[in-house]
Amino acid sequence: MPIEVKDLTHVYMPGTPFEKKALDGVSFTLENGEFVGLIGHTGSGKSTLIMHLNGLLKPTLGSVTVDGLDLSDKNVSLRDVRKRVGLVFQYPEYQLFEETVIGDVMFGPKNLGLGAEECRARAEEALAQVGLPDAALWEKSPFELSGGQKRRVAIAGVLAMKPGTLILDEPTAGLDPRGRDEIMALMRAIHAKGTTVVMVSHSMTDVSRLCGRILVMNHARLTLDGSPADVFADAARLREAGLDLPPCAALAERLRGAGFAGIPGEAFTQEALAPAILAALGRGNV
Amino acid sequence: MQITIGQYFPGDSLLHRMDPRAKILITIALIVGVFLADSVLSYAAMFAFAFAMIRLSRISVKYIVKGLKPIMFIVIFTFVINMFFTTGGTELVRWRFIRITDSGVRAASFMALRLVLLVIVTQLLTLTTSSIALTDGIESLLKPLARIGFPAHELAMMMSIAMRFIPTLMEETDKIMKAQMARGADFESGSLIQRARAMLPLLVPLFVSAFRRADELALAMEARCYRGGRGRTRMKQLRCTKLDAAGAAVAAALLAVVAVL
Repeated sequence: MPIEVKDLTHVYMPGTPFEKKALDGVSFTLENGEFVGLIGHTGSGKSTLIMHLNGLLKPTLGSVTVDGLDLSDKNVSLRDVRKRVGLVFQYPEYQLFEETVIGDVMFGPKNLGLGAEECRARAEEALAQVGLPDAALWEKSPFELSGGQKRRVAIAGVLAMKPGTLILDEPTAGLDPRGRDEIMALMRAIHAKGTTVVMVSHSMTDVSRLCGRILVMNHARLTLDGSPADVFADAARLREAGLDLPPCAALAERLRGAGFAGIPGEAFTQEALAPAILAALGRGNV
Repeated sequence: MQITIGQYFPGDSLLHRMDPRAKILITIALIVGVFLADSVLSYAAMFAFAFAMIRLSRISVKYIVKGLKPIMFIVIFTFVINMFFTTGGTELVRWRFIRITDSGVRAASFMALRLVLLVIVTQLLTLTTSSIALTDGIESLLKPLARIGFPAHELAMMMSIAMRFIPTLMEETDKIMKAQMARGADFESGSLIQRARAMLPLLVPLFVSAFRRADELALAMEARCYRGGRGRTRMKQLRCTKLDAAGAAVAAALLAVVAVL
């Protein structure tokens, strides 16, 4: 289900003194099965961009096409679009409202017009997928759960709609390291099942560990788009966007600068960098 | 979702620089003036004054007129009601039970103009005064009442907190609405009952977060030793200047003109 974004421009509150250009000529295509990291500092336009991908915002200029459906077209049903592109907002646990966990997860499928049994089956499946398979917990109030559990319930609420593309805005924000690892493992598992995943983040480390492609936003524009190795190779432009290299990529860059030319640009994770350093030392080309 | 009526319009015009207390008192005087006016000439004077004030505030007339839109229904409604139900004067139209007299048209027009003027005048106050300055002004004006036990400071504090959180809650509403819409919620179609039920997924999280914010705010205030208004000094002292005196003089002159005409 490719998503095509062409020359997308969005202006908030046009014609008032509060006018602000949040997106300026952004173009890219998401292919099926990609795991994409969208990164940029606060106010760079990331959140505005993802809200265009399922039709919550309409482009001021340009177009967004999901699976051949042009989102600016009035005849395109937004329900069809939202069935295809699931969006998990930042701090999604703040949108829980139902009396029971399972009821909340069933909200999305119900809105798609599915039958009660199908809704229930999908909700149970989604809850199991996010690591909450305990049926006793499903009948509890979502407000009784811990922060990490609430977040997983909220993600299940979107997964139950079975979107082909899942977009998550800062899914690990405000979680402890363990909660973060759990969410990252969950995203990996969702991706492994064939879902296209877009993760918005400003953590370079998280993005470098998970994503096969990175989009970098700066001042309403898309400044970099490529594989992590390509993006981290352009450290100058990353810094211009107010971002730093992930620690391992930064270390690799400094080692290369110090004469270890043999350390490849692909070595931007601990797992890849450690053997590369050993190899460089073993060969002794100082 | 946007509310433009009364939203502070940052600027540095003469009106922006006036003392909030002077502006509040002048606004009250103008409201009295609006109700005193009962001739074509006095309304003309009021409108000329309002127009001059808009020019002085450097806010575009278009922006002010846009702020009048939400009350247009009330204005038209009052106009029609007054036109049909005022008796006396010469008859202009008679058709079955409907009678329109010249004094009816006159009363209706004045009432409509009165409403428009009221909104313009109060809008000018809130457009040129930030909410903090406004509550500071109100607190300072109510201070004499504190002696007889009136909680002036507490009232002003409550007002400024309420105003401070209006944009925050609007933003929050927008965010929750978008999040539920992403889950397929529909807030726009359906019967009245369906729509009311559709609000539930919006209202529950909104209340939860409002209570959470209130708790956090109370904690933060206590952590900084907030103890109410007694003996509290302020960073920005309110000061009346020649500008405010001039404003008051102009307003008084206008009031006198309106009373005489």
